Order: sequence, then C-alpha cells, then structure tokens
Amino acid sequence: MHPFQYQRAENNGQAVAAVAKNPEAAFIAGGTSQVDLLKEGVHKPNLLVDVAGLPLRQITDFEGGVRIGANATNTEAAYFPAIQARYPAVSEALLAGASVQIRNMATMAGNPLQRTRCPYFRDPDQPCNKRTPGSGCAAIGGYNHVHALFGASEACVATHPSDLAVALAALDARVQTTGPQGSRTIAFTDLHRLPGTTPHLDTTLAHGELITSIDLPAFAGRSHYLKVRERASYAYALASCAVALEMDGPKIKRARIALGGVAHKPWRTPAAEALLAGQRPTEKLFQATAAAAFADAKPLEHNAYKIPMGRNLLVRALLETSGLQPLAGPAGTAFAASVGGMAGQVATPN
Amino acid sequence: MTPQPVPALQTGDVAPNGALPDGTPLLALRGRPVILAFAPSTWNPAQAYQSEIFARLLREFGDDALTNAAPEFWHALDCRGELAAQLGAAGQRALLLLDEEGILRWKTIVEPGQELRAGQVLAALEALRPAPTTPPNTTAAVDTEAATGGMSRRTFVLATLAAAALLALPSVVTAAPADISARPIPTENRAAMLPIELNINGEKHRLELDPRTALLDALRGNLHLTGTKKGCDHGQCGACTVHLDGHSALSCLTLAVMAQGKAITTIEGLAKGDTLHPMQAAFIKHDAFQCGYCTPGQIMSATALLADPHTRHGSAVEIREAMSGNLCRCAAYPNIIAAIEEAQRA
Repeated sequence: MHPFQYQRAENNGQAVAAVAKNPEAAFIAGGTSQVDLLKEGVHKPNLLVDVAGLPLRQITDFEGGVRIGANATNTEAAYFPAIQARYPAVSEALLAGASVQIRNMATMAGNPLQRTRCPYFRDPDQPCNKRTPGSGCAAIGGYNHVHALFGASEACVATHPSDLAVALAALDARVQTTGPQGSRTIAFTDLHRLPGTTPHLDTTLAHGELITSIDLPAFAGRSHYLKVRERASYAYALASCAVALEMDGPKIKRARIALGGVAHKPWRTPAAEALLAGQRPTEKLFQATAAAAFADAKPLEHNAYKIPMGRNLLVRALLETSGLQPLAGPAGTAFAASVGGMAGQVATPN
Repeated sequence: MTPQPVPALQTGDVAPNGALPDGTPLLALRGRPVILAFAPSTWNPAQAYQSEIFARLLREFGDDALTNAAPEFWHALDCRGELAAQLGAAGQRALLLLDEEGILRWKTIVEPGQELRAGQVLAALEALRPAPTTPPNTTAAVDTEAATGGMSRRTFVLATLAAAALLALPSVVTAAPADISARPIPTENRAAMLPIELNINGEKHRLELDPRTALLDALRGNLHLTGTKKGCDHGQCGACTVHLDGHSALSCLTLAVMAQGKAITTIEGLAKGDTLHPMQAAFIKHDAFQCGYCTPGQIMSATALLADPHTRHGSAVEIREAMSGNLCRCAAYPNIIAAIEEAQRA
C-alpha cells in the first residue's frame, strides 16, 4: 500500500481546501471501496481527508422530497421511512447491494462514487486506461462478459457498479456539492460521465469538490428497482433497471427508465421513455419499450447475453411497477429487487 | 516490455551490475556485504513487521562495523523491479547475500504459499560458516543455496543476524506481548505514525499506528485480539466482522485511525466471564461450524442482526439474506441458520 498521511476534516471548507490544494489527496468516508483499492495498489493518494465525522448525516424532508446527507449510511437511507415508502426503488437498490456490513459502513455520497468492478482495472499488472491513462484496455480484447453495451469508447468499456446510482438516475435526484469554486447543484444524471478518451475521470466533480447531500425531488408515482446477478445475494448486477412511473388515471403520464450494469454511468433511455407517455400499460407496450431501450446496444465479444437479459428485465420491471404483475417481495426490500428468488426462497414463477 | 528470461544466478557467481531503485549501482556497494530482500512491493503489515525486526536486530545486536552502517546492508526491494529480473528473482520472494567482492554467497527463494523454515535457514548458515564445510542443502519448499568457504567474518555475522531475525520472530512476539502491543506495525516506506486510541470491548487502547493499518491488523497484530479472523482481506468473506457502535462492519476495510471514537466490539467481547453469549451457545448446540474459521465473523453478524429492529424478527429467508456477507467454505449454513433462529426465539 502506498504511504499516505491522514487528516480528520474539521468542517466542509477545511476538507475542500485540504484536498483541492493537493492533486494527490482524496476524501474518504465509509472507505469500503477505497480501502480495498488502496490495498490493491490501484488507488494511491498521499493524503486522505476523513470527512466521515462531518455533520452531513441527517435525512430530512426537503422541498416536498427528501434530502439525504452525504454521510448517511446506505443502511440508514434504505430503512428511512419516507424513502422506503415513497421511493422504494432507492431502498430496493440499496438493500439488494453489497452485504449488511458494507451497507452499514458505506455512505450515500460514497456509493455512487465507487469505481468500476472491471477486473482489469483492479489488477495493476494489466493495462487499463482508467487506472493508468494511456496504458491501453485489456477488457476490449479480453474477457468482457461484465462490460458495457452503451456509451463505451475505444479507451474503456467498463460499467458503473452502483445499484443506488441507477435508482437515483431514474428519479432525477440532484447532487449538492461544495468545492473550491463554491457550492452548486448537479443533476444526478450529469454526475457520471462517459469514458471517451479520458476514462480515468468517472465523474464531473472537480478535484476537491465534496458532495454534501443527495436530494430526491418530490415524486408521487411508483418506482421499482430490479437486478439480476450471478448469485442470489451479495453480487454486483449483470444487468439492472430502475423504473419510475407517474400515472394519470389508467394511463402513464410520465415514465423514466435507467439501466444498470450496461454503461459507464446509469443509462437513461429517453426514446423508450417517450413511448410510454400517455399510454395505458400493457405487456405489448412494455416489450416495444424494452426493444427501443436496447436498440442501440453495441455488444462486445462476451456480453451480448445482456441484451435479451436486459430487455426481459425491463419488461418485468415495467409490469411490476405498473401493477400488471405483483412484485417478487415487499416493496422497498431486497426481495422485491431480486430476480430468481433469494437464497433459500422458492423463485416466483415468471 | 517483455522481460527476457534470465539464467538464475548461482552461488559463487559474481552478481551482474544492476542498480538500486535510487540509482546506486551495485558496484558502488562493493567492499561490504549486502543483503537484497525481494518481495512484492504491496505493503503488507506482517511483512513490514518482519522487515522492521530484521532492521532492529541489525542495529541493536550487530558489531560496531555493522551497527554503524546497518541500513546500507539491508535493501528491501520490489520483486517486480528491474534488479529482481537481473538477479533471477523476478516475481519471487527471495533473499540474496552478496559479499564484499559482489559474489553471491547465499540465495534463498521462498516459493509462493511457503514460509521460510528454521531448518532451511540453519542449513544455509551451516554452509556459510567461514571454514569450508558441508555442501548446500535444497528442498522443494525453499530453495536455499550457499557458497562455502572464504567468507569474511563480517559477511557471516550479517547473514547470521538476518537469519536469526527470521527465526526470532515468533519468540519475540510470545516473550513480550505487552511490550510489542504498544509498538507500531512498522512499514517499509514509513508514513507518519499517528497516536491512536481505540475503544475495544469497553477498554481503551493507545497505539502508535501507520495510517495504512486496517482495524483488523491492529486488532490481530498489535493487540493480539486474534479472535477476529483475516479471510480475504478485501471485504468479500465477512470473517473479519466486528461491531462498530453496535452495527456489523468489516474490520479489513476499516482504517484503524477511522475507528477512533467508536465502540468496537470483537468476538472476545461477547461472553460475560465464563458465560457464553446466547448466540455463541446456540452455535455450539447446533454444531454451526466445521473448521470454525468463519465462526467469529458469523457470530458477530448474527448478534448484530438480532440487535437490529429491521432484521430482528426476520424469517429464515430474511436471515439468510442478512447473513449473505459471511461465507462459510465448510457450508455449515443450515446449522448457522438453525442457531440464529434459536437465539432469535430465546
């Protein structure tokens, strides 16, 4: 592990200043992803500024929605009554992610900032443009079954691993930050970027810019997160989706869809979403929607399976969110979010 | 860059000229014996601890000639570096001893997954004795060679000290646990040590730690609370689970310095005197383990699960889901669930 200095931040301003003035410095809060990358020799800061003690842990009502403090843990947010009841996709995404221990440690700002799980990124002996710019991409000609279908570049085909980020993208969450240039609000869908020629940059945050809260806007519709993985629990999504539907009587007024496990960021599908507006929910409509959502998919050598998997997943998520089909478990729990049943549970026929 | 295969350097050969990472050519080190220790550059608390003991022995117990220049005799090097490739130690844990003439006198390569054993070190030392003596010894586990005869006393003393440091490690730890526990886990590239106070099982412990130290390594290496287990060391297996402020957490992914101010509970903190925690008793009653290595982590997750109002009343399926961060390679899962269900009813 590369040596680093450690500093406990006293307040937001001091934390921002400490990181902003040192290009090799980084914030740390929950540490679940970062400490692992430190041990792997992938992440090599010379200074860690610990922001876990900053008073950014409150979850409060905010402008008809919910403001989630950056330091609230994944567990605290998942079980927060207003989130579980009004934004079940968020609770489902959180509770279907990682393990209890990790959710107890991981923070709400840290979760969307976790780095890719591309195995080549995590192996310092392999070329990786995200880890070492200019070194090449081992995944493009390698084993790329967990890699991207959308928005990839010749430099990087990695996917973003966060479940939470997919739900936040579908709900049009907003990110509050404070940084060297002052405070600002970022649409969650603009927080992450596509790899392009600079895949070492995951987000649009400036160096030293600190997330202070994630805000869920007022929302009176239904939302749901659905995930398929290689194990029944404690595994990253091969493909996932979050759906947010606002109804007007029997018709869909507005639909938002975000796909997970298929791109460098949560992948919104405006063309597919537009097909749903003003329509009555039917399975046929949802199949057309899913076809549109994956129309531009560009599979690599080993990940074409994600196209039918993702389409079927989206159809099911739309059926469940619209009420045409029951959820696999109670809304706002991991059981609703899981395909194929949990360990020891008989799978719901589908 | 494709590394070229290098014929292994034999004892008695003059080492090819290479350079240390700081640019110093090996030739410039002639005139004194040198030990080159190759290992992966990844910082590893256990390895760092061993290196520190080497260095300390060289400093404290060497003769004057050695003591004054001890750091120059001992070079901890990356086995992925250029010098390792030049000396035929690429990618391996290896100890090489070059004498004043730059001749390889002793080479020990520790194969992956093996540890250096006392017998091999003794054999090598025997072979190094200044007077001509027995031929070198080799085994499958550790490939040790030493050139015989003609070695200066100074070189021999250095080799003896290095070997003694390896052998002394366990006895040092058992002889003075109280003393060792107060010491830092040392490092190769030392970052500034931090005074750290940890509240573990209701007791305060003051330590000086490298900020890189994981809570798991501080518990096991510095405080000798070895009930918490190191499994994967990457947050995938749950063997290192402890409670932080009553919630289950992974001590391998927690920097010790960041656990300050939190109530840390380890498996050692569950029983009250000789009375086991009901969860411990239930695990025994239901035979909820085979090898037992994952058990402390399982029990820490299980006790946190039952303390948490969100999971306390969970069904067997919900218990399985809440326990999915704890792997058991003996697959004692049905018995683990049975034990938790019993504790849940109690």
